[in-house]
Amino acid sequence: MFLPSGSQDETGVQISNRLKASEVFRLVAEQRNFKPITTPVVEYAATFTNDIAGMDLHSMLKWFNGEGEIEVLRPDWTAAIARAIAGQPPSEQKWSYQGSVFRFDKAEKESRQAGIEIVHAERFYGEAESLLTAIAYLQRLDITSYVLELGHTGIFEAIIAPYSFTKEQEQQLLQAMHDKRADLVEEIALIHEDAELASSLISLIDAYGSRDIIEQYRRKWSARQNLLAILDHIEQLIDLLEASGVTEVIVDLGRVKNLPYYDGIMFRAFLTNDGSTCFSGGRYDKLYEQFQQRISAVGLAFDVDILAKHMKPASEVVKSCIIASPATHAVAEAYRAELEGQVVDIQYQLETPANYQTIYEVIEENGQYKVVKL
Amino acid sequence: MKPVIALTKGRLEKQFLAFFESLGYDVEPLRDKGRKLQIETKEFSFFFAKGVDVTTYVENGIADIGVVGGDILVEHQPDVYNLFPLPFGHCRMALATKADYQWPGRKKRIASTFTRITKEYFKEKGESVDIIRLEGSVELAPILGLADAIVDIVETGTTLKENGLVIEDEFFSFSARLIANRSSLKIKRDQLVPVIERFKEGVKQG
Repeated sequence: MFLPSGSQDETGVQISNRLKASEVFRLVAEQRNFKPITTPVVEYAATFTNDIAGMDLHSMLKWFNGEGEIEVLRPDWTAAIARAIAGQPPSEQKWSYQGSVFRFDKAEKESRQAGIEIVHAERFYGEAESLLTAIAYLQRLDITSYVLELGHTGIFEAIIAPYSFTKEQEQQLLQAMHDKRADLVEEIALIHEDAELASSLISLIDAYGSRDIIEQYRRKWSARQNLLAILDHIEQLIDLLEASGVTEVIVDLGRVKNLPYYDGIMFRAFLTNDGSTCFSGGRYDKLYEQFQQRISAVGLAFDVDILAKHMKPASEVVKSCIIASPATHAVAEAYRAELEGQVVDIQYQLETPANYQTIYEVIEENGQYKVVKL
Repeated sequence: MKPVIALTKGRLEKQFLAFFESLGYDVEPLRDKGRKLQIETKEFSFFFAKGVDVTTYVENGIADIGVVGGDILVEHQPDVYNLFPLPFGHCRMALATKADYQWPGRKKRIASTFTRITKEYFKEKGESVDIIRLEGSVELAPILGLADAIVDIVETGTTLKENGLVIEDEFFSFSARLIANRSSLKIKRDQLVPVIERFKEGVKQG
């Protein structure tokens, strides 16, 4: 029997690292007063594809149910949690979740995520608590070499707000900004024959790097209060991150949302050794508009598979083996409990002694069983 | 670590080398590479691959930046930064068929390597067609009766002419483009931006 493309069996270090990553996440979330939540793996497609959530049905694993409705395997946690908690009383809530998401457009159809959602909280507090939780978690996993990036959906939106683009043009422009595709950005911006708009957007494409970029743009946008407020906001978060020991924080002022529900600050972290994105998230107040709610909502999700791949190997644990027999298995089991902190195997026939630092055997002496070290 | 650049073998290779040399870079190690697919220069690590594979290597972060035809990017839509056009590798997409071909009354059969582009083209025209995917020498399809027409890239039109095909419509023009891995551009900014800026200067002068 074979496996379909994008599915795999797993054994060994990757899976033990993932289990450890999950356990550490549970502890970190619990210590920070997040309550666990889970949603079903099977949901209606509309939860994710409605105009506000805006996800692409093509990338989902889907089928028709008996009533002809499209059901999917959960492609995203945030939209599912929004559905689940929309009816909750409007008081601050901190949720944590762990589980798989399923997508066709990824190399692996199933990937594991762990994440947090903070709703109805004071805005800056929610963002700060999300980022500080991420930092605490990475620290507990001993993952220290990463670059944290901040962006904001409001910058692009404020720049194009005075211009009346059609929905299609706006979508094309958003995609061109997402791809940092300067020629297409210019072409679309020039629909309004406004060279200033084109040059603003093109320079925004290159507005990524250290926090010095913020100073440059503060001068550039000195008369634009709404954009200055966004820069203040980003800078306030950078101050918080730097004060919390994060040394590599970058900004991308030209970053645009890739899902329509993002609505404000966006953050993600790249691991420096191979550039993989270990977490991403941001503000998505808009997501709750589908439930006629205007609330503060922010969160982030870790890619647990990526974390597991980059976790350092666990410190060496002593491995021992007790040689026993059907008659002495119970004695060996009792002795196993005494070897606390070790990995203890019981075997009837020892075939690979080199795998163990210490080997014991249960022997019979004067009608009594006892364990001896070989 | 040096920036890693993925280059498209074949059609674009020579044109890239001429462009790269015009930027003041030493291209001798690339010209003298023989059959080697990986070349180290003082400043860069290069490797050569098929266009679509260049996008895969860049998307997966094996290469930081890449040079690839715009046709490949439209067809395969990799998740990369699609930065800007380069002043070489110009071509256009065309619908071609046999000269004086009488289109049948049934749904048309179109052969192409570029199935996504073909689908979008006919969708725009509001016409349903059957698309036959071929890996190469698509000009054969109408001649041998596999398809009514083809959608393919055209540089000079010579290959079409020599095979008795005529262009019915031209609908996209492309050039080579510079692409970049999404995270490399951020975390290797100090290394990559000077190179990208030099490419930009070359484009302006080209």
